[in-house]
Amino acid sequence: MKFLTTDPVAEASSVLYKRCTIDLRSGTTTLEDVPCRNLEDVLGGFGRSFQVLAERKVDNAYSAENPLIVNTGLLTGSSAMTGMRTYFSGYSPIKGSKKGLPSAMWSTGSGKFGAKFKWTGLDELIFENRSETPVYAVIRETAAGPQVELKPAEKLLGLSTHDKIMALQKEYADAHFAVIGQAGENWQNVYMGAVALSTENQLKSGEDKCRFAGRGGMGSLMGYKNIIALVAQSSDKLKSLSPAVKKVNINVVKGGGSTRLQPLSRGGGGGTWAAYDVLQAFHAVPLNNFRPQGNALPEKLCRENVEQDYEIKSEACFRCGITCHNNVYAKNADGSRGEFLAKFDYEPLNLLGSNLGIHDAGQAARLIQLGDNYGMDSISLGVTISYLLAYNERHPEKPLLNGAGFGDYEKIRELVIRAGEGELPEIGKGSMRLSQATGETSYAYHVKGLELPAYQPETNPGYAWAIAGGHMSMATYGLLTREGKSDLDSWVKGITQDKLHMVGFDMIGLCKFFDIANGIGTQMVVDCLKSEFELEITTDDIRAAVRRAFLRGLALELRQGYSKEEFALPAEVYEHPNANIQLPQIATPEFLDELQRRVWAVFEPELEDLSL
Amino acid sequence: MQIRVRLIGAFRIERFKEEIREVASESRVQQIVDELQISNRILGIVLINGVHAGVEDILQDGDTLSLLPILGGG
Ligand code: SF4
Repeated sequence: MKFLTTDPVAEASSVLYKRCTIDLRSGTTTLEDVPCRNLEDVLGGFGRSFQVLAERKVDNAYSAENPLIVNTGLLTGSSAMTGMRTYFSGYSPIKGSKKGLPSAMWSTGSGKFGAKFKWTGLDELIFENRSETPVYAVIRETAAGPQVELKPAEKLLGLSTHDKIMALQKEYADAHFAVIGQAGENWQNVYMGAVALSTENQLKSGEDKCRFAGRGGMGSLMGYKNIIALVAQSSDKLKSLSPAVKKVNINVVKGGGSTRLQPLSRGGGGGTWAAYDVLQAFHAVPLNNFRPQGNALPEKLCRENVEQDYEIKSEACFRCGITCHNNVYAKNADGSRGEFLAKFDYEPLNLLGSNLGIHDAGQAARLIQLGDNYGMDSISLGVTISYLLAYNERHPEKPLLNGAGFGDYEKIRELVIRAGEGELPEIGKGSMRLSQATGETSYAYHVKGLELPAYQPETNPGYAWAIAGGHMSMATYGLLTREGKSDLDSWVKGITQDKLHMVGFDMIGLCKFFDIANGIGTQMVVDCLKSEFELEITTDDIRAAVRRAFLRGLALELRQGYSKEEFALPAEVYEHPNANIQLPQIATPEFLDELQRRVWAVFEPELEDLSL
Repeated sequence: MQIRVRLIGAFRIERFKEEIREVASESRVQQIVDELQISNRILGIVLINGVHAGVEDILQDGDTLSLLPILGGG
């Protein structure tokens, strides 16, 4: 980025970002310094990419008009802790309106690829059209600035995400990688392809410890474009830590905002896995396709039970003191650490574990690992399979596919493998399409075509207004469970004011765990921007930009044909209320209707003022 | 007076799952949290008899107090 001003709010066009556009059809590459239009452009991530997407009319995700935008946030590659995010944006193959139009979507992950990408000197890479043959892109730092080159990728085809990364590592020193798996290569039949991002730990240990930009099928879009991998090759360019950023980083680790994600050994909460314990206290851990039974079954995957048989190691992305990864290893007979199995985050563990009726940690770990190796979004994969298992339970006389039922590990494993190989479009295209095909849509746990994360929808009507991942773009998943709010006023305020601000992290390049409770409109972020770039910017400026970006996402959904009826929870939630969940039952038709009315009453006037 | 204290998740490590405790009448939740040396930074949810409450709430004889860690997305 080039900063010709210290006031990016009044003089956004005096901030320029370096964009490379590659026409995959002709192979031409255009590098330019693009002036920012507003603060959203300056902050980056989806705040910028959605403005590009708004300029396009795209009716089909797999079409020449749909770009794949790879970018970073302003603080990616900076010395601010967690500044490692890469964003992948485009019109989604999996998320779409009932009218059949694809929704604008972004997905993001950590790992070190984002920082390396930034350090090449590039801020954004846009892939137009489609390559006739499989290619990978090498983004390099040179004395003349960043350069991007396409190379034949046939040798990478058919390899898992991890194997692609390890193969590329042999060829490119001082580089990090973003790759698709076999699922993305089979984009015709898999709409939930993820992008895997390499980590330092992975490159050093040789263990498959990628991070993933999973949601929305950006790996499938990459596959459609015939881009198999991205290589970002650059020296490390971490600035020395200024006193201001050092203070912020200490605050991130010690100040409380990220404590819940830190290791138990440091007095932290033990990562997202701890949600198992908390939600189980309310019998709100998804089980057998989001139907908790009020029993103790989910406890088998609680940490205290898993660690009796497995070794759990806390690890981190490059330079991150939060250390939120819980890496699970087999235990050897002599008690020493054995093979690395998988990283236990709450979402994949639940959705490929308890919610499929799998209560054995080793089996859940293998399913997580398989999904990761094939490069599929673990949330969409798990929820689509749980739908299938629920269908089969209801139709024992005529089950679908291999007839798998809840807890049937071998058959579920076969479904994951065959979906990843592109042999099961019924799974690969997601739960919305599968349920439309069966005609039984009420228990398909998606909203607006995107599968739900592992928080019961009974506890989170805010899913309806999430503009990307259900729990990554609307932080209402704890409003009832954590905060005990069951009144309409709190929910309207949560959705329309406080909780939408979590999307700001997906603009600026930081992990949400930087300060999950307060978003990016904080003095900590202001201090980082001042110290790193000498920008004069206020928390109010940031919050206003985040709100505009969120509203733009909502406006884009409406433009892609979503009716207001589609901003709704799966019907089973209110048609068959689950009395086992020990929380106030707020997801009644009356509550949801009134919430719709009041939320739109806030958003609609603002949407009218927003030009796309 | 006596209350029942239930601990969830990591709070059980080197403490207990559930126990009956003798506490002074008019005790606030924070006093129990302090006695148990639980950090407020990871105390996420307080329930009294299954209903959401706060650390300043006053406990009554026979109450069940549940202390849960913070819930964070993921
Ligand atoms: S908080 Fe976790 S995912 Fe984010 S950068 Fe740190 S270790 Fe990586």
